[in-house]
Amino acid sequence: MSGRARLVVGALAASLALGLLPLVGLPAFYESFLYLVFHWVALATSWSILSGYAGYFSFGHGAFFGAGMYTTTTLAAGYGVPFLATLPVAAAVAALLSAGIGAVVFRVKRLRGELFGLLTLAITFVLATIVLNTRLDGGPGVYLSNVPLPRLVASPTGTFYLLALGLAVLAVSAAYRVTHSRLGLGLFAIHDDEDVAEVEGVPTFAYKLAAFALSAGIAGVAGGIHAMFVSYVTVGDTFSITVPLYVVLMSVLGGARHWLGPAVGAALITASLYAFTGGQQALLGRALVAFVLIVVILLLPEGVVPAVLGRWRRRRQLRWRRGSDRSAQRGAHPRPSEVPGAPAAVAGLESAAAPEGERLHESSAGAPAGLECRDVWKAFGGIQALRGVSLGVGPGEIVSLVGPNGSGKTTLINVVSGHYSLDRGRVELGAVTLSGRPAHEIAGLGVSRTYQIPRPFAHFTALENVALAATFGAAGGAPRDARAEARGWLEFTGLGRRAAALPHELNLHERKFLELARALAGRPRVILLDEVLSGLNPAEIASAIGLIREIRGRGVAILFVEHLMRAVLELSDRVVVLNEGEVIAAGSPREVMRAPRVVDVYLGKAHVVA
Amino acid sequence: MPSVTLLGQALVSGVLAGGLYALLALGLSLSWGLLRLVNLAHFALALLGAYLTYQLGHAFHLAPWVSAAIIVPLFFVVGMGLHVVFARFRVTEFTSLLVTFGLAVILESLIQWFWTADYRRYETPWASASVRVGPLFVPVLESLACLTAATLALGTWAWLRFTYVGKALRAAAEDAAIAGAFGVNHRRHAFVLSGISAAYAGVAGTFIALISTLAPSQIWVWLGVVFAVVIIGGLGNPVGALLAGFLIGASESVTMAVAAPAWAPLVSFSILIGLLVLRPERV
Amino acid sequence: MIRMRRFTRGGGLVAFLVLAFAASAVAAPAGQPIRIGGTLALTGPLGPTALLHKLAGEMYVEELNKGNGLLGRPVEWVLLDDQSKPELARSLYEKLITVDKVDLIIGPYATSGILAAMGVAQRYQKVFVHHSFGMPHLAKYEMHFATAAFGPEPNRTIPTTVFDALAATANPPKTVAIITSKFPSAQFQSFGAKEIAEKRGLKVPLYLEYEFGTRDWGALAARVKDAKPDFVWIGALGLDGNQMLEAMKKLDYTPPRHFHLFPAPGPLVVAPDGKQALSVTVFEEHPPFMNNPGAAKLIPLFRERAAKANVPYTHVDTQVAGSLAAWQVLEAAVTATRSLDDKVLAQWIKKNRVDTIIGKLRFDGPNNYGDDLFKVKQVQDGKWVVVWPREFAAPGARLLPP
Repeated sequence: MSGRARLVVGALAASLALGLLPLVGLPAFYESFLYLVFHWVALATSWSILSGYAGYFSFGHGAFFGAGMYTTTTLAAGYGVPFLATLPVAAAVAALLSAGIGAVVFRVKRLRGELFGLLTLAITFVLATIVLNTRLDGGPGVYLSNVPLPRLVASPTGTFYLLALGLAVLAVSAAYRVTHSRLGLGLFAIHDDEDVAEVEGVPTFAYKLAAFALSAGIAGVAGGIHAMFVSYVTVGDTFSITVPLYVVLMSVLGGARHWLGPAVGAALITASLYAFTGGQQALLGRALVAFVLIVVILLLPEGVVPAVLGRWRRRRQLRWRRGSDRSAQRGAHPRPSEVPGAPAAVAGLESAAAPEGERLHESSAGAPAGLECRDVWKAFGGIQALRGVSLGVGPGEIVSLVGPNGSGKTTLINVVSGHYSLDRGRVELGAVTLSGRPAHEIAGLGVSRTYQIPRPFAHFTALENVALAATFGAAGGAPRDARAEARGWLEFTGLGRRAAALPHELNLHERKFLELARALAGRPRVILLDEVLSGLNPAEIASAIGLIREIRGRGVAILFVEHLMRAVLELSDRVVVLNEGEVIAAGSPREVMRAPRVVDVYLGKAHVVA
Repeated sequence: MPSVTLLGQALVSGVLAGGLYALLALGLSLSWGLLRLVNLAHFALALLGAYLTYQLGHAFHLAPWVSAAIIVPLFFVVGMGLHVVFARFRVTEFTSLLVTFGLAVILESLIQWFWTADYRRYETPWASASVRVGPLFVPVLESLACLTAATLALGTWAWLRFTYVGKALRAAAEDAAIAGAFGVNHRRHAFVLSGISAAYAGVAGTFIALISTLAPSQIWVWLGVVFAVVIIGGLGNPVGALLAGFLIGASESVTMAVAAPAWAPLVSFSILIGLLVLRPERV
Repeated sequence: MIRMRRFTRGGGLVAFLVLAFAASAVAAPAGQPIRIGGTLALTGPLGPTALLHKLAGEMYVEELNKGNGLLGRPVEWVLLDDQSKPELARSLYEKLITVDKVDLIIGPYATSGILAAMGVAQRYQKVFVHHSFGMPHLAKYEMHFATAAFGPEPNRTIPTTVFDALAATANPPKTVAIITSKFPSAQFQSFGAKEIAEKRGLKVPLYLEYEFGTRDWGALAARVKDAKPDFVWIGALGLDGNQMLEAMKKLDYTPPRHFHLFPAPGPLVVAPDGKQALSVTVFEEHPPFMNNPGAAKLIPLFRERAAKANVPYTHVDTQVAGSLAAWQVLEAAVTATRSLDDKVLAQWIKKNRVDTIIGKLRFDGPNNYGDDLFKVKQVQDGKWVVVWPREFAAPGARLLPP
């Protein structure tokens, strides 16, 4: 049985066993205690789906929880809707609310990090104020004593327990599914570098929206159930700082980037709430629990679950090395979150051969096609960065783009890749118009790029970095195939042995080559190379030039931005010179280098600089 | 239609209330912006400072400024001590939330142990004193708090802008590695900043004791509004925090004067949401 | 634990223990203890007042055990901390009933917690006596008994008492400003005050509801000042009223008369602006209340205990007296029926009047409520005294200014 199957069977068995608990006849308190545990498991897990995985730190989980709580309250107490029927509505209201917020907020690039946190916090206050001052509550609170509770089992506490258990299982399995899917991969990439993720083909807007709605929807159901559990719903208790604060704390404690982390954190913190409720030690108990929390998080800063898993895996790996000659690691692959020290499948690499030229051709996103920029204009505020740039790169051609710093080379790459929208003009790939499309679509159509200063995803191993591009690029493989593909490209760029390394463990040359491998893994028809050679030593440059030739040999169109003239002259079929956003010369390398304006721009500048 | 005097009075009171928010926000903003530590314990420290001011005034009849002169240096040392822990365990932005939450709970328990959960109110003759300016009344203590906030904000701004230590801290916040390459000893400066941040909590605490009321759980009542002030002001930006405090305080107060007071948060936080969505680059 | 803490605080501990020991030696209750379970908000935002209920309960149980206990058996109070969270209160009552299997239960502090616990009591058919519930119309359980003696319609009866008291002065108010916190019970009664005032022909130029947790009082104070009312009704909790008065003082304004619904009693007495503040109470430390059952013995004991616990205001008023009354009701029922059966106890309580420290309680009205026992009190010469109705007024006291 594979690790994954074992996990699924184990989880099913555990859920079933927990589900049968109310039939055992435990005192009601345990059911109600476990209700609260699972209630928090669902809330914390749902929070982490957007905030833990994608790093969009929300302080507004209370808003969605509260939206669900008041949806159920209003429908059940005000309109006599059966309690269970209100729960899907609670989910829908919370999810719609989040989607509405997301649809506005996720379009604003600066609303990341703490600004997103503030925004969600502010939304909580606004929502609380509206509920407090309208007929939804109005101030006195709403009492749900007249709402009949359906009997799933004999006792009401058993019913609540089953509802919360069901929701918690749903939330955790949703989290598991997300982390093991394209969606999760994309969210983790967004966490590390959203702009790069988009350019690598991750539909960031849609993914964030999906994660936000899923996260809020689960919180909404949790709120709906909780309304019935507390039976007296007030604005003060509902929209207090408790929910947004506790879900964060629980996720941090358990490990916010692991599907199981928030659940474990929630269980630990909820249980610790009960550890000292005795009237006499209440105060001391609180302080003690707080102290233990501090110690745990200081010693296991990445969270309990990743820390324990990491330790366990290291030990297992050690045993393997000592014991048998098994070379491949079985089981589900570590998520980026589990990476520190994780033995990604280095050993399996030898078997994966570098993709052959033929294969690359076939499985690319369609036939080779050329890139055409027509009269591209782009301004930033008052600065005109591109003034009517036109250039073309044919399949299997290398066109070098040269020019002094600030001449608009990188801007052009950003426009072509869709990171910036253009003001005027068109960019085409074969018969398809690229301009106006979001960056991830452009990537999907077969355009990939490298960054002058490498921007790998910091929490992804080298292999995972490349696999992401293989998943979301033009090749568009399933995550599992993508890993095999990625291994091939790492071998191709000579990074095979570094597959398991995290970016910060790589040196500059390795990171540059990782950029290249990542750009290739998308199986592009056009590749935009932004100063891949800068900072490399002569031997590394030679091998890079060899690689680029090989790529060209496979029919890819290459736009090559470079300062290093030797490489430009050696590689280019044609050279385009850019100055102050304008093309001042274009043609064969030798021709262009002799053009008087080019000499002027280059040598003139050079003199001034020198 | 509310009278002009009423509006003016509401504006005065709101701006001054905003000064107190800003006073609480200053230290938080500094440690969040420049050390990447979200210090929830800041609120607990401030309340501890308030209780100490109350205790020194109540039991030993020390004037509040004398108490402040004791508390502020003491808290500076406490802040440096806290940073020993943060630095030793390399606490990150993420884990700092949990660590400082734990710290805040411990401080809350400590406060309740010494002073019980019951309400405390530090009665002073200045509590209801005010100065008349034309038709408006300007309360003395709030003005003093506001003035202190302004002085500290501007002083901190100048310190960060013009001194070597300040520049080093800002550089390290931008990119610790590069700053390190230029020989900036970020770690040592971080202790100073942590100390200052805690000292500011002490200052805020003194004013809380004088202006507001005390109960252990009040640690948490400031959280929402002060977080908002810190972030709108820009992390690590003391003058921004001051202005943000004024903005929130004034908008709430004016709403309370002209409309149903319970709607006040809607107005101030809608302004905030609007600002964030429409003008994120200004925030 | 209590003992340890007291020990660290020193102060008369030895004498106290000796006394306690001596007293218990007189008529020591024997046998299995009767366990009475309950929670209080020992930590969290409701902590300030819950502390008083804890001290009152501890004292009462200790006094019971110094005597003959209950039915000759010692009494043990199983007290848990619900951390001011209703959902925790709910599950802790389930713990008390289904795990600890206590014999009887007693209510937690404040409306939300009590409602949460009442649901549990109802499911397990436990008799449920509680002491601090502010929304009588929500209490539907047939075996609940409230010693917060609001009567079934406090939103009508309490404002009526207050306006009656004012009407009896030489210069009754003609205009009323009402500002209230949006805290459920405060808002409920304050809105009632508005209706009653209007019904009585008073003008209400200003009715404001503010968010519970407001920090800026300046604007509210300015609006009250602008409205120039003869009387201000402040539907505030805890120290909100103090802050409100201070804010008005800063505007050089002192309202002619001001009433506070649920103030923390201590700080308002010592505040310079608290002079002649009005409020409502069921008990103050003067006759005729001191003649109520238990008062003469319990009040000095409580004050001693509160002082030892470092509580700033040690006088007994509504909260503590209500708490003691709840214990008295429970004791009376058990003693009279010689039973611990919840149904038997409930039947007895429902049928009988219980003479408590806050007066004669009955529970045979709507929702098991009886009379509204609240009286009007006022800060005079640095202490609270009851001023209305006249037969309950402190000797020589009357509502000021007359």
